[in-house]
Amino acid sequence: MKKNVLMMMAMAGMLVINVQAYAGDVELLQSEYQSQGAGPFSAAAGEKMWRQQYLDKKSGKQRSCQTCHGSDLTTSGKHARTGKVIDPLARSVNSERLTKVKFMKKWFKRNCKWTIGRECSAQEKGDFLAYLKGL
Amino acid sequence: MQPKKTMVWDLPTRLFHWLMVLAFALAWATHDDSRHLDIHTISGYTFFGLILFRLIWGVVGSHYARFSEFSYAPSEVLLYLRSLLGSGVKHYIGHNPAGAWAVFILLTLGLLLAVTGVVVLGGEEQQGLLAGYISFDQSAPFSMLHEVIAWGMVALIFVHVSGVVIESLLHRENLIGAMFRGTKWVAGQSAQVPTHRLVASVMMVSIIAWGAMSLNGYVNATAEKPYQPFKGPSLAMNELWNEECGACHLAFHPSLLPTRSWQQLFKQQEDHFQEDLMLDEETMAELMAYATDNAAEHKQTEAAWKINRSIKKNERPLTITSVEYWKEKHSNVADAVWKQEAVKSEANCGACHFDAEQGAFQDSAMKIPQQ
Repeated sequence: MKKNVLMMMAMAGMLVINVQAYAGDVELLQSEYQSQGAGPFSAAAGEKMWRQQYLDKKSGKQRSCQTCHGSDLTTSGKHARTGKVIDPLARSVNSERLTKVKFMKKWFKRNCKWTIGRECSAQEKGDFLAYLKGL
Repeated sequence: MQPKKTMVWDLPTRLFHWLMVLAFALAWATHDDSRHLDIHTISGYTFFGLILFRLIWGVVGSHYARFSEFSYAPSEVLLYLRSLLGSGVKHYIGHNPAGAWAVFILLTLGLLLAVTGVVVLGGEEQQGLLAGYISFDQSAPFSMLHEVIAWGMVALIFVHVSGVVIESLLHRENLIGAMFRGTKWVAGQSAQVPTHRLVASVMMVSIIAWGAMSLNGYVNATAEKPYQPFKGPSLAMNELWNEECGACHLAFHPSLLPTRSWQQLFKQQEDHFQEDLMLDEETMAELMAYATDNAAEHKQTEAAWKINRSIKKNERPLTITSVEYWKEKHSNVADAVWKQEAVKSEANCGACHFDAEQGAFQDSAMKIPQQ
């Protein structure tokens, strides 16, 4: 009996830790950006930037986050050049999203450079996260 | 003496003859298209089995099927051929000397054809009886030989058929019909030939069972999971490679380009087909090690071997599609195929090659999607 209770407590504890880790990675990254002087973060600003079109001088074409991720983040997107399917970004349908700091950092770097033509500032990345984590 | 309808060719001999015709024709028809390599191989093995059977039957079979019955000296062949020009051609119940030689040469060529086929299958595809024992380079001359022998056989078949037609006309005797019915009209003494139904039945049953066994994968195949007749040795996979490369495109297996190409691709990672990969040093090191260990020059697959072979030493292609072998291999693919929604890009190997992710690119693991 006592064993069972202990076991359940341990399991509940693990669950709490898990949920915290899951919720924590975005906040962890945001606080890192804050320590670089950014913040507070705005989901509205993030969304605006997400939808904005940027001109790529080399190709003469407009690019935005939606070029590859699509206009509805609860559905799959498609890589602009290769056509490879990109899984939905919204956490409501894809729980793997926004769960790894390393992963988020990598894609911010790579995709900001392709889309906007430069790396994003800490403020911009924090805003993006504020927008994306609410989806 | 009145001619009598007499059994000359026993049933196994006739079955052997026509099944060999069928097997050769099937293998010939499928030799050029890699997608039909399975049919080519099945008919090739059947052909091999038939020849081995005939070699045994030439010793233990019925009278006219025995080699000893139609072993003629070359001088007799010449005599026979010369007699064709004049009158008084000698009539043979079984094979005439020229026909007998055609049979022996055809059997020899057939045996060589089957053996070289097994060598090529083992080397180029790493399949079949000799898989793993022969390297790509070792099998290359056999591939050539296999083709030359096949052409030799075609030439000889032409001679054989011409001979049959000529003799049929000369003797007013339907030799082709005789190879179906087994009987000829014979005047005078002839040997007793039993039909050998049991041997013939065993032949038929084994060939049908073997064919069904080889093709049964097609029965359970679906559009999503097509049947893959051949599976090569599995190649080394790397999780990081699949994650990093596979995020944006098919994680092309390192065996599809030589090491120097991968080195250059990583060196210019900030301009990777208009994207900046920004891979950190640790990631790069692991990816490069994997690429180096599995690059095309290690010849792990037929595709790797042929890609590597077609790239000049001073060249360093950055795309698989710019490699000569790739271009040649895809030159017959219609424009409309590339434009299909399911294909879209030449880099989308998986649209047609359903073992693209494993890097295997087996000949028969391929199906062009139909719109």
